[in-house]
Amino acid sequence: MTTGPETCFHCALPVPADLNLTVEIENQQQPVCCPGCKAVAELIRDSGMSQYYALREAPDPGVGRPPEETAEWLVFDSDDMMRAFAELDGDSTEATLYVGGMYCAACSWLIETTLAKLAGVVSAEVNPVTHRLRVRWRQDELRFSGVLATLADLGYQPQPLAPENTTRPELVEQRVALKRLLVASLGMMQVMMFAVGLYAGDFQGIDAEMQRFLRLVSFFVTTPVVFYSGRPFFTSAWRGIRTRKPGMDLPVSIAVGGAYAASVYATFTNGPAVWFDSVTMFVFFLTLGRFLEMRARHRSIDRTVALSSLLPNTATRVVDGSTAVVPVSRLQAGDRVRVRAGDGVPADGVIVHGSSSVDEAMLTGESRPQAKSVGDAVAAGSVNIDALIEVRITSTGSDTTLGTISRLSERARYTRPSFVTIADRVASYIVVALLLVATLVATFWYFTDPSRAFVITLSVLVVTCPCALALATPAAFAAAGSRLSQLRLLVTNGNAIEALSRADRIIFDKTGTLTRGSPSISSVFVLDPAYTAHDCQRIAAALESASSHPLARAFALEEELPRVTDQHVEIGQGVSGKIDGRSWRLGSAEFVAAGVTAEDSVATQVFLAVHDEPVAWFEIEDELRPRAASTVDALHKMGVRTSLVSGDRQSAVEDVASRLGIEDFHAQCTPQQKLEIIQAAQRNGERVVMVGDGINDAPVLAGADTSIAPAHGAMLAQTSADLIMLGNSLEPLTTALNMSGKTMRIVRQNLAWAIVYNALALPLAAAGFVPPWLAAIGMSASSLIVVLNALRLSRFE
Amino acid sequence: MSILYVLIPLALLLLGGAVWAFFWAVGSGQFDDLDTPAMRVIMDDDENPADGNES
Repeated sequence: MTTGPETCFHCALPVPADLNLTVEIENQQQPVCCPGCKAVAELIRDSGMSQYYALREAPDPGVGRPPEETAEWLVFDSDDMMRAFAELDGDSTEATLYVGGMYCAACSWLIETTLAKLAGVVSAEVNPVTHRLRVRWRQDELRFSGVLATLADLGYQPQPLAPENTTRPELVEQRVALKRLLVASLGMMQVMMFAVGLYAGDFQGIDAEMQRFLRLVSFFVTTPVVFYSGRPFFTSAWRGIRTRKPGMDLPVSIAVGGAYAASVYATFTNGPAVWFDSVTMFVFFLTLGRFLEMRARHRSIDRTVALSSLLPNTATRVVDGSTAVVPVSRLQAGDRVRVRAGDGVPADGVIVHGSSSVDEAMLTGESRPQAKSVGDAVAAGSVNIDALIEVRITSTGSDTTLGTISRLSERARYTRPSFVTIADRVASYIVVALLLVATLVATFWYFTDPSRAFVITLSVLVVTCPCALALATPAAFAAAGSRLSQLRLLVTNGNAIEALSRADRIIFDKTGTLTRGSPSISSVFVLDPAYTAHDCQRIAAALESASSHPLARAFALEEELPRVTDQHVEIGQGVSGKIDGRSWRLGSAEFVAAGVTAEDSVATQVFLAVHDEPVAWFEIEDELRPRAASTVDALHKMGVRTSLVSGDRQSAVEDVASRLGIEDFHAQCTPQQKLEIIQAAQRNGERVVMVGDGINDAPVLAGADTSIAPAHGAMLAQTSADLIMLGNSLEPLTTALNMSGKTMRIVRQNLAWAIVYNALALPLAAAGFVPPWLAAIGMSASSLIVVLNALRLSRFE
Repeated sequence: MSILYVLIPLALLLLGGAVWAFFWAVGSGQFDDLDTPAMRVIMDDDENPADGNES
């Protein structure tokens, strides 16, 4: 198969050169790669939503997966399913769905607009960050299956969520944080206004009564700011004291609490000064910083849902010879289920009837399907390729291989050395030092000028607030993260950028990472001069048209094919059939004809024979990703070493490694061995970046210093990866490395500035030249400079 | 200046009202999604209503 320069308008995959399918969008004929994409693009156009194409950030990688059959969704209309997943409220029903295959805000717009046009839909809201859709519809006009089928037609993979999965702690946390932020900002603005009056009064004179009144209202407004908005600082400071690891929150709490208490005292005893303005400003800026940091943290994908998205929604259970479609969550060990060709296996089990080949690429990394027959074990999440089988279930849910792998990745995640803990420990020392300095200053002034001791100590605490220091890194990371997402790289872990900037070695997985994961014919060798290469390809395409084997896709041709009779698929061997009365066989050397031997080759070889006479053989290879070689080359130029690990055969791995110039490669690795290779490199003092996509990589990804997954990978791998690459090319990898270097430069600038600021401000404040309000402004200004410097990253090219 | 004794408490009442309204809005889920609304304003609801085709 040759790939032309054209790419599909809808999904951006290459359009086969000999295919001429187009779709008219905004009065222009646009090429598409398959009838499926054409149908989806037309659906989008006819709904008046062509804008989707102008607004989306990345082409839709969700397509290519055929829409699930409508019949599958019908099971969700049953009463007990409705009870499990939907909530009846008045005359309308509400349900929350996880929508797989959604990648940007344009997707959410498309979903919302399409659903809103569906008769019976009351409302539809999509949260693109959490991939959740909340839909409400009138039960008498629309069935649940209608909603699900509409989403599937658009190319998404909907998955109903039980109500207990929908109210998430993150959402509660965000709501509380928003309220705290609002109280702090409104309170700060009010108190500032009163403070202007009080300061003007200091210079121009003010009624004693008016002064007391302004102080009193400031007190009323400041109190909720301190005790509601500022509460997290106090609880965190207290936790720090109890665990003997004082954090940044301890001096913050002392400054806020001390200034507030002294101001309240001054208010009720007519003392010389109040600092309510400094207190609210301080709390507001801190709350704002926390809020932004929390938002960045929440930008990760829900793990449990992603795991189960590999499993089918429903299974066909066989009881006493009769079948019933049941949701996968109802399956139990001992149940007998029927798995059709092309369907996913719902749970771990043993085949009790039939034989087939099973694609376990997601679990083992083996790119070729494995032949399985009665007595063999199959794992949840693998895909049944050839024929119908019946499976007796041995374990379900978290007990399955899939569940175990996910637990393994959790464990690897916890053992990861994190620079956050180191930063916390350093912060403890800084905090203790600050408190010591403040105490020294307080003692000194107490003996020289007791009336100024409190004000000066307060200024010292505020002005040396390690805010700029604390913001220096997160602000730069947040700016880098948002810029990277525009450059099609999603950061899901804040540590990733730091680790990436120091990367010594990048370890690649092969299938689906360096290669596309979709095989194609690389060369045709004709043995019988009576046929041309094209004839052979047509005959092979016709023979393979009956097979759903992944290799069969490599043979697909979009043209009129010869008619085949007596078509027969031998599991794991090949296909046979009659064309014009001659009997053809296509498959492995042993299957096709006696006397044909497979040569030692890196590619998978498929032979074609007529009447036991060999006619031709094909070499089938998994194509490398675009610009894979140039990317690896660029990495080498940047001084990064590369390795290749794969669960695939030695010859295939060797071939890819040599074509890309990767010298260090390991074939036939189990996930455990991959992890050991990474740990060995880490013991040599190298910082390791793992690039991989399959589920089998999940523990491996978590074990590396940083992990990157292509967007096509299994959802599970995406969630455990620190960085997700969108699109087909490997090029974003070099961008990510450049960006991380630039980010760390900005971080160092920020840290240098914060240290210089503190070094200048501390002596001035300790000498009594800085009043608390100026200290608060100085603290804010230094933070602002740090943030503005960080924002330069958002213009990175 | 004594008008301030009326105006400031009045302002505080309004402030309280605003905070209450915001708390209610947050509680009812209006602020759960902070990303899409920014995109939504630049998208038309329907740019070329399906011509003859059912939508």
